[in-house]
Amino acid sequence: MRQDAFSNYHPAVNFLFFVGAIVSCVMIQHPAYLLAGVIASGIYYLLLNGRSGWKTIGALVPLFLFLTVINPLFNTSGVTVLFRVFGRPYTLEALLYGVCVASIFVVMMLWMGCYNKVLTGDKFTCLFGNLIPSVSLLLVMVFRMVPNLIRKTGQIGGARRAIGKGAGGASLKQKLTAGVTILGTLTAWTLEGSVMTGDSMRARGYGTAKRRSFTVYRMTAADWGMLTVLLGLLGTVVGFAIGGSMTATFVPQRSIAPVSGINLLGFAAYCIYLLIPTVLHIQEAIWWNISRYRI
Amino acid sequence: MVEHFKIQNLSFAYPTANGKKALSDVSLSIRKGEYVVLCGRSGSGKTTLLRHLKPELTPHGKRSGKIYFDGILLETLSAHDQAAKIGYVLQDPDDQIVTDKVWHELAFGLESLGCAPQTMRARVAEMACYFGIQDWFHRNVTDLSGGQKQLLNLASIMAMQPEVLILDEPTGQLDPIAAADFLNTVRKINLELGTTVIISEHRLEDVFPYADRALVMDGGHVIADGSPRSVGKLLYEQNHPMRSAMPTPVRVFYGTCKTENTEGMNSTDNCPLTVREGRNWLSAAFPAPPTIRELPTVDTDEAPAQTALSLKEVWFRYEKNAPDVLRGVNALVPTGSLFAVVGGNGAGKSTALKAVCGICKPYRGKIKLFGKAISQYKSAELFHGCVAMLPQDPKSLFVKKTVAEELSEMTGDKELQAQIAALCRITELSDSHPYDLSGGEQQRVALAKVLLTEPRLLLLDEPTKGMDSSFKESFADILTQLKARGVTVVMVSHDVEFCALHADLVGMFFDGQILTVDTPKRFFGSNCFYTTAANRMSRHLFQNAVTTEDVIELYKLNEGVIR
Amino acid sequence: MKKIKKSTLAMLVTCLVLIPLTLYLGTFLSGRSYYITATLFIIELLIPFLMAFEGRKPQARELVLIAIMCAIAIVGRVAIPIPHVKATFAIIFISGIAFGPETGFMIGAVTAFASNFFYGQGAFTPWQMMAYGAGGMLAGFLFKKKRLPRNPPVMAIFGFFAVLLWVGPLLDCSGLFLMAPTVSFSWIVSYFAAGFPINLSQAISTVVIMLVFGKPLLDILDRIRRKYGMQENEPEV
Repeated sequence: MRQDAFSNYHPAVNFLFFVGAIVSCVMIQHPAYLLAGVIASGIYYLLLNGRSGWKTIGALVPLFLFLTVINPLFNTSGVTVLFRVFGRPYTLEALLYGVCVASIFVVMMLWMGCYNKVLTGDKFTCLFGNLIPSVSLLLVMVFRMVPNLIRKTGQIGGARRAIGKGAGGASLKQKLTAGVTILGTLTAWTLEGSVMTGDSMRARGYGTAKRRSFTVYRMTAADWGMLTVLLGLLGTVVGFAIGGSMTATFVPQRSIAPVSGINLLGFAAYCIYLLIPTVLHIQEAIWWNISRYRI
Repeated sequence: MVEHFKIQNLSFAYPTANGKKALSDVSLSIRKGEYVVLCGRSGSGKTTLLRHLKPELTPHGKRSGKIYFDGILLETLSAHDQAAKIGYVLQDPDDQIVTDKVWHELAFGLESLGCAPQTMRARVAEMACYFGIQDWFHRNVTDLSGGQKQLLNLASIMAMQPEVLILDEPTGQLDPIAAADFLNTVRKINLELGTTVIISEHRLEDVFPYADRALVMDGGHVIADGSPRSVGKLLYEQNHPMRSAMPTPVRVFYGTCKTENTEGMNSTDNCPLTVREGRNWLSAAFPAPPTIRELPTVDTDEAPAQTALSLKEVWFRYEKNAPDVLRGVNALVPTGSLFAVVGGNGAGKSTALKAVCGICKPYRGKIKLFGKAISQYKSAELFHGCVAMLPQDPKSLFVKKTVAEELSEMTGDKELQAQIAALCRITELSDSHPYDLSGGEQQRVALAKVLLTEPRLLLLDEPTKGMDSSFKESFADILTQLKARGVTVVMVSHDVEFCALHADLVGMFFDGQILTVDTPKRFFGSNCFYTTAANRMSRHLFQNAVTTEDVIELYKLNEGVIR
Repeated sequence: MKKIKKSTLAMLVTCLVLIPLTLYLGTFLSGRSYYITATLFIIELLIPFLMAFEGRKPQARELVLIAIMCAIAIVGRVAIPIPHVKATFAIIFISGIAFGPETGFMIGAVTAFASNFFYGQGAFTPWQMMAYGAGGMLAGFLFKKKRLPRNPPVMAIFGFFAVLLWVGPLLDCSGLFLMAPTVSFSWIVSYFAAGFPINLSQAISTVVIMLVFGKPLLDILDRIRRKYGMQENEPEV
């Protein structure tokens, strides 16, 4: 995986950031804020995924357009009628609202994509290990099992091919039976081995005391600092939101709160919040470049 | 010394066994800090006995007798102490692992015991350093080798700081080098920490000499209990079948005095246990160099047999940008022979087998089966009556609910089924569920399935893995019968001793190629590291003596007298 | 009766306090808050199930069994070399039938959640957990105590309708709120109509897998249950 400065923070910091970013993007439909969301999430997504990130972004464009265009078909309110479809009005306001809904969708997809890169399975279980110990142990066990089963599937397939029972036939029925046979063998084989897994858990004291989860992640001073900064910025954003500086309605009539004066402060807080991972990432890249020349 | 475990008149019967006892009247005590090896054939009750020493794993059934741990009844020990003080390592390295990360697995026991985070951190760090795990601390367990996995299992148990370590055939699934490493670590724990070790093993060469005590089980009884030397003597006095599992030096020692009067048996203090001791003992027996240094080679009619399989400059890699696994493999396998390929782990031996049965398609080179290029075979004719492979894990071939159905999956020909079942000695198992069988029986059922395709060329991938010595012997019998029918066998193995005994030709696989191919005598005779214990023990006196029988025969021919 | 079971308490608190509160507060929020409200609603619905599972203090074997079935359901997504034919639903349903509604729910929900760590989490995760879990639970419930006979055709018919009318639509709900221009009847109808072909193809593939794989898999699971004395759903006759 690519090195990412923000990913090196404690999982709690990562988790808080994404919850804040995603909830705010759904709640705030103000165009300026949405634009900030699109830009911040897009850049961070590209930083995390590199060249392959462009593919996803390319795929999101038609989806964005589609969602924009269909919106007025269902939402006919609005004052500026552009034209009529099957007798129903197709309004400018609804179209703009479509842009808004589509951007929310896109921003959400992008943040989710970043989330998947940053909050890996072991970070998640670190966060919730003590809260839901059995479920998070279950998750860890599934993570361990899946690659194991994929390997076994290959082994079974190979073994069957080597006695002439492979999925050589091209017909759907043959493929289906071959696939199902492999799946059956896989299930039986793994379940029979499960006894030993259970034994090994009990041999190591599973169930004798309340489980406490071990983790390689520790909250450092930097993590606390970052947590404070994120909470402070979120608090500011929420404050301004309650104050009404982020409201925007499109239908039936456009009314969008201006981003000026004191409202600029809220907007700045929001932008800083969203850009933190990006800035950290770039800062680190620069630092390494400089230190390389120093050596 | 203080007793750690004291077992009094322990008897046990499984609920399904109709009163047949798995353990009968076992009494023994194990002192603190002892290193005890438990031997016995499969099904002799070793695992049942070991599991009785760990209450969490004790099977349900009818039981009588008492077990004391550190002076108190084992059942009265608190759940926490049972878990923490008695460590138990199981056989399969893979199935024992619970979590996905190495660090998490190391901490699993501590998490279960509810240790404080600070303690966990310290203990995990300590274990990672002691076992040399720090380099792969952050890895996924999937990326580890079998040996590393088993070491991780051991480390995870040692993190709980147990007083006793019980190991149930821990190296059954490992290759010899990883197994030796693992057993050395166990010995180190015993020596450096004073942890009591109770271990059951098939592979006695690496354990037997270093144990303080050996126990032999048979039919639920402990039939021998004492120092390894005295146990060896007892087994030979009783002509017990377990003597075939003894380390090579012991077998040579007693093999050479079989014909003499029993007085020779008394001087067991001299019985060598390690190769080093064996060499010294042989040297002492022959103060002057022996006159006959080599057994006459029985040159069978060297009529050049037909070639069953030929590989010519075969190159293969799994992915376009991956390194080559096969780098110009050349080999000629004569019809009706047993051709063994030995070599290290991950060298590509199994890949070579896959190439021979057409699963891996080489990008360069030629493979011919019975004179016809493999690409010219249709899939149906290739796997019917031509070639078939027995996979490393027999379980990967089981798809049905009974052995009989397994066989019927391959062919409808009842007569052939019966014939193959008889050959593989599984006739009486036909109604059993494949997973209710022992490891050796499963192997034979899988072999029967493979043989039902009536292959003329049989490929075997590590067939003796995890088998005990008596299973190996019956497996070798089956191979001999197959050869008599004209079947050519190619096998890939780590089991040097098995290859030396039963192969016709042995080749070394290294760096993607098969390097030297020769008869086992000449092949192992010219190696000095990668060879049998018998050869390492005798090579300073004899030439090309690679099996225990060779050494015994040469010894007798030279009439070694001093003992 | 000193203490009520923790999980029962959690269920009561969730249904009587948490969910009404969420819905009530939701009405105060601006923007597209119904999406957040709906997501919260689903997550809150999941809580009592998770609490019940935690409260049960599952045995090691039960945990291993659930983990294996989840892993197999995840691998079942790619194991059959035919495009669009996924064994995941069938495996979850059959697990539910073999091990009962509670275990069926856990297998479904964890399968959904864990598989997203491999294929990517999304806004749909809570819905997916609920949908898969509810599917496993429904299977366990309907086939419990011989309410429905455990033979392949019945299981196949169950699978068809369960996917088409229950799991599929529940899954679709995640996008329903997120993409909705307004939550109007015409939108809901056209949204579900758009999802129908996919659900139908999933349902058909589930039928096929149930017919071919249902009996063998059920046999394997029943054998394991009997052999190791793991949870009983109903005694075999």
